Amino acid sequence: MEDREFDRLLKIARLKLNDTERKRIKSDIEEIIGYFDKIDVISTHERPAYQPIHVPTRLRKDEIAHFDDVDGLKRQSKLHNGYILGPKL
Amino acid sequence: MASHIREFLGHEKPSDYYSKLAEELERTNSEYHAFNVIKKDTEAKNQVPFSTKANICVKGVETTAGSKMLRGYVPPFNATVVERMLKEGSFSFIGETNMDEFGFGTFGINTEVPARNAFDSRYAAGGSSSGSAVATALLKYHVAIAESTGGSISTPAALNGVVGFTPTYGAVSRYGLIDYANSLDKIGIMARSSDDARGVFDVIRGRDNYDVTCAIEKITNNKKGKLFVIEELLEKADPKIRSEFERLLDKLGKEYEIKTISMNILSDAIEPYYIIAMAEASTNLAKYNGYKYGFQYGEFNRRYNDFFTEARSNFGMEAKRRIILGTFIRSESVKARYYTKALMIRQMIINEMGKVLKDGFVISPTLPIPTPKIADVEKLTPVQNYALDVFTIPPSIGGFPHLTFPYAYVNEMPIGAQIITEQANDYALLDFSSKWEESFQYKYKHNIGSL
Repeated sequence: MEDREFDRLLKIARLKLNDTERKRIKSDIEEIIGYFDKIDVISTHERPAYQPIHVPTRLRKDEIAHFDDVDGLKRQSKLHNGYILGPKL
Repeated sequence: MASHIREFLGHEKPSDYYSKLAEELERTNSEYHAFNVIKKDTEAKNQVPFSTKANICVKGVETTAGSKMLRGYVPPFNATVVERMLKEGSFSFIGETNMDEFGFGTFGINTEVPARNAFDSRYAAGGSSSGSAVATALLKYHVAIAESTGGSISTPAALNGVVGFTPTYGAVSRYGLIDYANSLDKIGIMARSSDDARGVFDVIRGRDNYDVTCAIEKITNNKKGKLFVIEELLEKADPKIRSEFERLLDKLGKEYEIKTISMNILSDAIEPYYIIAMAEASTNLAKYNGYKYGFQYGEFNRRYNDFFTEARSNFGMEAKRRIILGTFIRSESVKARYYTKALMIRQMIINEMGKVLKDGFVISPTLPIPTPKIADVEKLTPVQNYALDVFTIPPSIGGFPHLTFPYAYVNEMPIGAQIITEQANDYALLDFSSKWEESFQYKYKHNIGSL
């Protein structure tokens, strides 16, 4: 894999690697993609199976439900004046 | 084998039973690392202890899925399986068990402090539900709620000599499970007997409005008289495993007709499985951004992309590898070649296995090699590692129920075999292994909580 392509993937995945990680993961990924390439020889015209079973569309009634642990959710994050803090856009 | 659940519920216990159990478990856990969390302040009253894998949400209990990215995440709700276990009344939550980060592993080593095999702590516990299996092999009266994507129940169950039951995809609700790969993840059970696994299955299975994929309502028990051995898969087993497995077939041959058949497509199941799993994993892990769940990066003066990228350095090596590969596989230029093709091969596998499974069970060893030492597993390359899932991936990619049971002890380490049936025929597997247990006594080195 070209360095440019590898860097593009890192950017999309929002990952940063140190030099040791980069060397090891890039080489592993090249080996794994080579392994995946074995599927090229399989001939198939099946429809893609997005799920292993048939999953029927089941809609439930759109009803208002009470959730009583808002504090439990807020405890997961840093707050400022009761609002969840996030990074700059 | 008698149900441990029934035996436990039928016995009087001293008033300090649960506190002493937690103390002894804590001491033993310092060697085996089966549990990430042990609940000490239990209010249990004559209830069977149950554990949950660390990717199943338990209200008020830190649930990290074995990842530093989720350190500090305390769910404000219970997963449906936990809610159902607690509501049933016979079970009491004892703790959360160790696992490979987000389920990414065959041997339980992809986490900060790996669990160790309950028979010999120098050996691998198996993964990714490593702690669930070790906990089951340590505790005399206990059931584990585990989870499998591509063999994460079967492999550790086999290496620790316990029953590992992975139900049909869609038979058990996954609401409250921290996803790895949505079209492959199944919540299942580990126990010391098939009857115990059945008891828990009946509690946790069934439709759930919170999980649309939980679509398998009716479970059958179509018994089979034939056992099929897949030639192309058995060829991949180490000679020692193969000779033990052939001895098992000799024993089973008295009850079942054994037939060796060829199913070439199954030797090509590993690649499409990992393609699908990594594509789905990379999308699922996109939500971990350093401020919403668990780990708080805290440098809020950073720009969004920098913040996000720095925070995600907390993923472990295997998680990073799978995110990058999954991102590659989903790229527009190669998506049809890898992802869509893998989904088409999955349909081929479902069709071909489905035809065979109408006539009989498929049986195989669970792992192609004897239990490895942790030090040896650490030397494997990712491809060598993935190739060891050869027996557990075919049922996993097709959503077929499968069950691992111990059948031999070599050098005092257990060996497991795996049996597969058609979708929604789960009870037939549990009956098969219940019958096996009538003539084969499982052995354990530890029996914490004995009465």
